[in-house]
Amino acid sequence: MFKSYLKIALRTLWKNRLFTILGIVGLSVAFGIAILLTMDSLHELSFDKFHTNRDNIYQVYIKWQTPNGMEAGISQPTPFAETLQSEVSGVAKITRHVEEEALTFYKEKEINLDALYVDDAFFSMFSFPVVQGSKRNPLDDLSSAVITETTAQKLFGEENPIGKTINIQINGKKEPFMVGAISIDPPQESSIEYEIALRFEKNPEYAETKERWNAQYHEVFLQLEKEVSAEVFEKKSQAFTNLHYEGSIQNLKRDGALPNKDGNYLQLGLVPLSDINFTSYAKGFAETSRSSVYLVLGLAFLILFIACVNFINMSVAKSSQRLREIGMRKTLGAEKRQLFIQFWGESLIIFLVSIGIGILLSLLLQESFQTLFRSSASVTILLSSEVLLAAVLLVVVITLLVGGYPALQISRLTTVQSLKGKLESNGKNRLRDGLIVVQFAIAIVLISGTFILKGQIDYMRNKDLGYNKEQVLSFPLTGKRDSYSAVKLLRNELAGKPDILDITASSNNLGRGKDGSQYSSVWGFDYKEQGVRTNTLTVDYDYIKTLGLELLQGRSFDSSRKSDELSAIINESMARQLREDNVLGAQLPASDSLNYTVIGVVKDYNFQDISKAIEPLTLLLNREEGLLYAYVKVASSNMANSVNAIEAAYKKIEPNAEFLGSFLDENVDRTFRREKTLAALITSGSVIAILLSCIGLFAMSMLITAQRTKEIGIRKVIGASVASVTYLLTKDFLKLVLIAFVIAAPIAWWFGHNWLQNYANRVELNWYFFAFSGVLALVIAVLTIGLRTIKSALANPVESLRTE
Amino acid sequence: MLLELKNIFKWVNSGGQRIFLLKDINLSIEEGEFISVMGPSGSGKSTLLNVIGMLDTFDEGEYHFLDESVHTLKEKYRSNLYKEYIGFVFQSYHLLDDLTVYENLEMPLLYKKYKGAERKAMVADMLDRFNIVGKKDLFPAQLSGGQQQLVGVARALIGKPKLILADEPTGNLNSQQSEEIMGLFKKLNEEDKVTIIQVTHSEKNAAYGSRIINLLDGRRI
Repeated sequence: MFKSYLKIALRTLWKNRLFTILGIVGLSVAFGIAILLTMDSLHELSFDKFHTNRDNIYQVYIKWQTPNGMEAGISQPTPFAETLQSEVSGVAKITRHVEEEALTFYKEKEINLDALYVDDAFFSMFSFPVVQGSKRNPLDDLSSAVITETTAQKLFGEENPIGKTINIQINGKKEPFMVGAISIDPPQESSIEYEIALRFEKNPEYAETKERWNAQYHEVFLQLEKEVSAEVFEKKSQAFTNLHYEGSIQNLKRDGALPNKDGNYLQLGLVPLSDINFTSYAKGFAETSRSSVYLVLGLAFLILFIACVNFINMSVAKSSQRLREIGMRKTLGAEKRQLFIQFWGESLIIFLVSIGIGILLSLLLQESFQTLFRSSASVTILLSSEVLLAAVLLVVVITLLVGGYPALQISRLTTVQSLKGKLESNGKNRLRDGLIVVQFAIAIVLISGTFILKGQIDYMRNKDLGYNKEQVLSFPLTGKRDSYSAVKLLRNELAGKPDILDITASSNNLGRGKDGSQYSSVWGFDYKEQGVRTNTLTVDYDYIKTLGLELLQGRSFDSSRKSDELSAIINESMARQLREDNVLGAQLPASDSLNYTVIGVVKDYNFQDISKAIEPLTLLLNREEGLLYAYVKVASSNMANSVNAIEAAYKKIEPNAEFLGSFLDENVDRTFRREKTLAALITSGSVIAILLSCIGLFAMSMLITAQRTKEIGIRKVIGASVASVTYLLTKDFLKLVLIAFVIAAPIAWWFGHNWLQNYANRVELNWYFFAFSGVLALVIAVLTIGLRTIKSALANPVESLRTE
Repeated sequence: MLLELKNIFKWVNSGGQRIFLLKDINLSIEEGEFISVMGPSGSGKSTLLNVIGMLDTFDEGEYHFLDESVHTLKEKYRSNLYKEYIGFVFQSYHLLDDLTVYENLEMPLLYKKYKGAERKAMVADMLDRFNIVGKKDLFPAQLSGGQQQLVGVARALIGKPKLILADEPTGNLNSQQSEEIMGLFKKLNEEDKVTIIQVTHSEKNAAYGSRIINLLDGRRI
């Protein structure tokens, strides 16, 4: 029996090869894409799950009530961790954590490493096993260092690194460290990354901030005792917070902040380790959201759904052509169950083939997927037993539903009905129409999403940011020279070149450079009995001129005036905060004895990501802070030559440092890499969705026109024109697309509106985003159906009537 | 007695009116009879045949087949009953297009769960008897209408039924092919004692049978 089923199944599939191929193509693509997307989301969801102590490790954050509402952050001051552990019970282990670039020397090698300054508990809390060297407490000595396997290879090559001494430049001085252990490289799904780990006490800020509670610059992770819960600990820590932040709390009260519902102004909170990759503090509280991951997973399901709908519709329509066979089988004694198994089996064959091709497809596309979406996920993540089990279950359920539904319909028919070869249909097929509507609604939502994303990206790219981003190039000053002398040398080196217009430097980049770093530095002080917070930026002379900022009042820094080292230039937002009629000359208190005098106001410019509103900013000529980035403005002609000249000059000054220069517009582009990845994802998703929907529509139009051959013949015999017949055949489908649009537009609007709320500068949601996607779907649908229907409308009615 | 119909009614409701397809049909058929059902189009011939073949249900009356009361049986037992005792021949042959002659003949045996070797022997026997051994690997589309109907009759006979129901078996055939098929029916009836009920329009075909039942508007006349 089985052999006979298989034989007839293969013959039927071959006879209807066009539909078989359409079905297989659709399902294979969908399976392939679904596998890739699932792989990506599982990879994301597995972040930080590899630590054996993950259930007890938390990151500490602090939330405070300001007069303008809640704020939250993860930066803590140096004495914080130690005091917390000794004053609040329940902490098993605690470590401070700050990441910085460290220029490392070994013999004649000189490499910039990503260094992590942590306390000695770090390696016993987190699961980065030591593969060589002292396993017990690799950071027990102040001058010991732990390097990763890759670093060992980079720094030592074939040599055995254990016990070797390396030098690291900290605060401009070379300090010796001894390599005590080699750990594994942090896995890709780890939010903690490092190339070398050193003791926290060695970090450049440590000495200066040892006793200070108001200098917050590092993160703190703690491991709670097994029986202590996060909520209990958060409550217990309140006394600690009230005691050590008394001054800040009083200032907040004075400025008119309202306490939170527990009556507190400052409160500690804990975020579980496995959540930190998904937690944002932008809204003033710890918001853990995996929605972007679920969006990707959802996309996988939508695409799979569309392909399945195609398959259901095609098999239902196809089966109506096999009614005689079914009737005959029944008169020969086939039972319902046997018919069900036969037809379901045919679907199963298609499914198995499609899954096979889908898996191949995902393996083939894996690499391009990884590059396109900047994902480091690989298919191997799907090989765990749970995932495989879930996948098998899912496939069984899908085949049962998708293959089983048409099979069930068929096996239910009565013998006489099916022998007549005609389904007693009441004209409409609700389920089929409903499924097509849902399919197109999904496609239209995705297309609208694409337009909105593209619109927002274009908006951000073209927005006037208040500075010259086309002609200015920035690069990090990473060499071993003092940054001020490096800039001075650069000026000398490039002097006299006609295409080099201006040179300056500052302590932060604009946008995100090739080094990928972004910093922020915030200064809070009391100004005339009122708390003021401002971002600060250390700049060199010519900063305003080089970047083309607009000076609204006052003057720029002047190298001929020594007193300018105690002057400040502020932006408009800062000026508003100071509430002075004439802000020039205002004194900003840096310490008891030291004041900065405001000498100028610049027009607000987007010094942070464009998604953020412009915050208060103060520019200082603070000679104690280092400069981290150099900026060079070049003439708009011969830009490539100028870049080469700058690179050559820098190479001469810092022969061992890498030149990572890029124009500011590229930097700005890099800040919305996430949006671009999302756009790429949604765009490809919508292309595939519309493609699959069209395959379905094409197949349906073929089957339906075939079923209506006789009707078309009759209409033509009594005088219908080709145009009217084409219209008749197309109309029903177009109605479905229109209904889909009506359903999809509000959904797309809602999603788009909510997503745009994340951006302070956002494109306006215009009706044409939706209209375009509706029209696009309609045009594609018409083209898909059109060819087929025109062909049957043109057919000779004698031919079509003869079939009866 | 092979089968007996008592006061059979079958109707459909259309626009609030009850339209009778079969009206008070009484009929008893002995084993070994060859009956022709005649009547104009729409008189209920095919419906009657479908009811006898248990492919269709009826609304009122009693139907006894051998010792079973068909009207009280569940669908599953009914299908076992006709699978066992009844073979069908159709005007448009209804061979399965995707199967060869051999496979078409084998199909009823598969549903009756015969063993492989047994099936082989029975199909070979049937091919031999109908002289179509040379055509066993052809598909229905490669045969003439007469040959297709020959296969259709062979398929109906392969399960050794007691009763063959033929719905206008020669309706699509030319006169020479018709005579062949009718001759075959006659031979089966006389030599193998198979009971046959055929629906036909043609007086000539009806003459092959032993008894004629006339229908008009769902009634016997």
